[in-house]
Amino acid sequence: MSVSATPPGWAEVLLRAVLTPGDFDSVSGDLLEQYRESVHPARGGRRADIWYVTQVLGFVWRNARLWATLLAVAVIARTAMDWLVPPVDFHARANVSTLLGVGILLLAGFWAASRSGSFAAGPVVGVATAAIAAPIEVLGAVTLLAGWHDPMTMAAIRGSGGLEEVLTLPLVMVVPGIVLGTIGGLLGAAVKRLRTA
Amino acid sequence: MAEVLGAFEQAVLLAIVRLREGAYGRAIFREVQERMERDVAAGAVHATLVRLEKKNLLASSLGPGTPIRGGRARRFYRLQPKGLRALNDSRAAADNLWHGLKWPLKGYV
Repeated sequence: MSVSATPPGWAEVLLRAVLTPGDFDSVSGDLLEQYRESVHPARGGRRADIWYVTQVLGFVWRNARLWATLLAVAVIARTAMDWLVPPVDFHARANVSTLLGVGILLLAGFWAASRSGSFAAGPVVGVATAAIAAPIEVLGAVTLLAGWHDPMTMAAIRGSGGLEEVLTLPLVMVVPGIVLGTIGGLLGAAVKRLRTA
Repeated sequence: MAEVLGAFEQAVLLAIVRLREGAYGRAIFREVQERMERDVAAGAVHATLVRLEKKNLLASSLGPGTPIRGGRARRFYRLQPKGLRALNDSRAAADNLWHGLKWPLKGYV
C-alpha cells in the first residue's frame, strides 16, 4: 500500500470532466483507494496507471456510446443510400446528413456538459463520440461493400466520392468532434449554471 | 408490479446487503468483483448504483474520506424497502423457474 502513489493527472482531469461535481469526489476517491491499496502494490506503477486510465475511459465510453451509435447509424444510412439509391444531385442529401452529424455532436457536448457542469465534458464526449463511431462506420461500409459490389453499385460508389472518402471520413470526424463538442459544452455548462443560479 | 432486476443489479444490491454499514463505492466494487469472479468496470458499478438510486431501490449519503483516498468523501449506500422487495421478488422468480429441476442439470442434451 502506498499513499504517495499517484495515477496520471490527465486521467483525473478527464474523469472530472465527465462526472457531476457531486459524483467526482466519491468516484475519484474510490478509484484512488483501489489504485493505491490493491492495484499498485499488486501490478506495479505502469500497469496500475493503465488500469486507472482504462477505468476512466470506461466512464467516458458510458457518456458517449449512445451518441456514437446515433452518429454511426446516420453515416451508414447515408452511405447505403448513396450506394444503393444514388441521386442525380447529392447536395440536398449532403445538407441533411451534415446537419444531422453536426446536431448529434453538438447535442453530445451539450448533454455531457449540462450533466457535469464542466464545459470540458463537451470536447471530451465530442471526440469520444467520433472516435467510437469511426470503426462502426468503417465496418458498416465494408459490410455494405461485401454485400453489394456489382458494376452499378461500384459506379455509384465512385460517383458519391469513392471508397477513400467513406473510409477516411470517420477518422476526420474527430476534428468536428472537438469543435462541435466544445460549442455544445459551452452551451451546456451555461445552461447548467443558469439552472443552479 | 415487481421490479425486474438484471443479474448485475442483483449483484450490486446483494453486495450492499452483505456489506451493511460498510457499503460504499469501492467496497461494493470489490464485493461485486469477487462474487462474479471477473474484472468489473468501476463505471458499470457506478452507473448501476445511480440507476438503482433513481428508482428508489437505494439511498446514499456522504461520509468522511481517508488519507488513502486523498481525503475524498465516501458515498455510502443503504437498501430501501423497495430494493429489498425487488431482491426478494428476483429470488422468487428464479426459484420458480428452477422449480422441479435438479441442479446441476444433467442428461437433457
